[in-house]
Amino acid sequence: MKVYLPRPGKAARLCLLAIALMVVCAPAANGQDTQPDSFDSIKPTPVITGSTAYFSRVTGGQWQDSPSISPLLLFPIGNKLLLEAKGASTETWAKNAQGDYAGNFTYGLAYAQLDFIASRYMTVTAGKFVTPFNIYSERLTPNWIRALQTGPLTSPVTSNGSLGGMVRGGFPVNGQSVNLTYAAYFSTNNTNHITATDRSSGGRLGFFLPGPRLEFGGSYQQVLQADRPHSAGAYVEWQPNPLPLTLRSEYVRSSGIKGSGYWIESVYRLSQIPYLKRLELAGRGQQFFAAPNLSAATIKKLGALGRDTNEGDAGLNYYFRSDVRASATYGRQFALGHDANLWVFGMTWRFVSPLLPSGGAQ
Amino acid sequence: MRTRTLLLIIVTAGVLLFAMASWAKSDSKEKNDAPSGGTSASSSRPKMDEASRLEGEKRFRANCGRCHAAPSKFQPRMTATIIRHMRVRATITDQDMRLILGYMTE
Repeated sequence: MKVYLPRPGKAARLCLLAIALMVVCAPAANGQDTQPDSFDSIKPTPVITGSTAYFSRVTGGQWQDSPSISPLLLFPIGNKLLLEAKGASTETWAKNAQGDYAGNFTYGLAYAQLDFIASRYMTVTAGKFVTPFNIYSERLTPNWIRALQTGPLTSPVTSNGSLGGMVRGGFPVNGQSVNLTYAAYFSTNNTNHITATDRSSGGRLGFFLPGPRLEFGGSYQQVLQADRPHSAGAYVEWQPNPLPLTLRSEYVRSSGIKGSGYWIESVYRLSQIPYLKRLELAGRGQQFFAAPNLSAATIKKLGALGRDTNEGDAGLNYYFRSDVRASATYGRQFALGHDANLWVFGMTWRFVSPLLPSGGAQ
Repeated sequence: MRTRTLLLIIVTAGVLLFAMASWAKSDSKEKNDAPSGGTSASSSRPKMDEASRLEGEKRFRANCGRCHAAPSKFQPRMTATIIRHMRVRATITDQDMRLILGYMTE
């Protein structure tokens, strides 16, 4: 059995050093502090939130129905701590080999973490958390948020979950025109089926320009086990001020067997048309390039990541309210010998409720 | 397995029906591009000045609107919890968080 020494990679150490320097220098660069205000008097209360959904999917002619629920517990402790835990359970119904319509129940823990707000510029997190790599996995994955119910082909390239520690934060630089955001983490190897994670380290550095509403940044991940692949990524998101339009894109490249790829997504809310202002149009184009020289056995093991794939997706979202949404997505996947139509349609409801009977009252 | 499956379907269908029913009762004038329909903050706190309110709205649109549709306003203490969560999740700066919290609880 191979033993892995507790030694983060050189790139991860440099990343941590750079972030530490930035955090130390941030007050000087900013030149001003945020003054305490009357809103410090609002005492946070425990909240249960999350989403429930019912989606029907047709993938290459195979029909699936999947009700799901993803509760998220937010439990603030004092002024500095937040305990947050999110679970997910799904029942997937499909025809089995015997032709019967049968269900398969799955559940998991997306994250369970304790956040300590160490300063205005830094939050320290411990537990199981979503790996801070680009933006999709951390911010756009929930089915009530994602514009298209088909996911990016690049999502499985990197480890999406980590178990360990993380520092993250954001602060304005150059007056108020740029917000710098950062995250650096270290994760241990864990083989429990609910909290499975890889031993890895990495981080993300981003810039957000509130004026033009432009965000861009880069990510790095070094896996510290098995064949020790590393992954690098970049992302950009732009919401032009005059239009209800969002453009976003991610690029990922892995040194290992998982290849590379990118996706570009646009979302347009028809808010300027009175009778269609609840409707949102979305489209995405993506390409995935499998790693070269893979053996037949590796290709079989990797599944979709073992072959070059192009995909185009288009979808509609209709907001009955800000928290109730109907969605329909069509995608066409082009892979040698595996071309397929992807249909997804269903509804989501995002719920928010205080955990205690009088929790919401101030 | 069958009982658990039925239970999950019933729960999911129930919450979706509840959501649809509450939607049907909701104010049809709800704005889609701004938080609305919530409970205002306690009158014990001083009102935000107009400049701070406008700045809070601007930060709200810039930060929250990056990923999702504008939510309804919630009770102030719930909003404080959610903002703390979003500060971590979306690496919102401390100053933006305060301005958004002020705007959302106004």
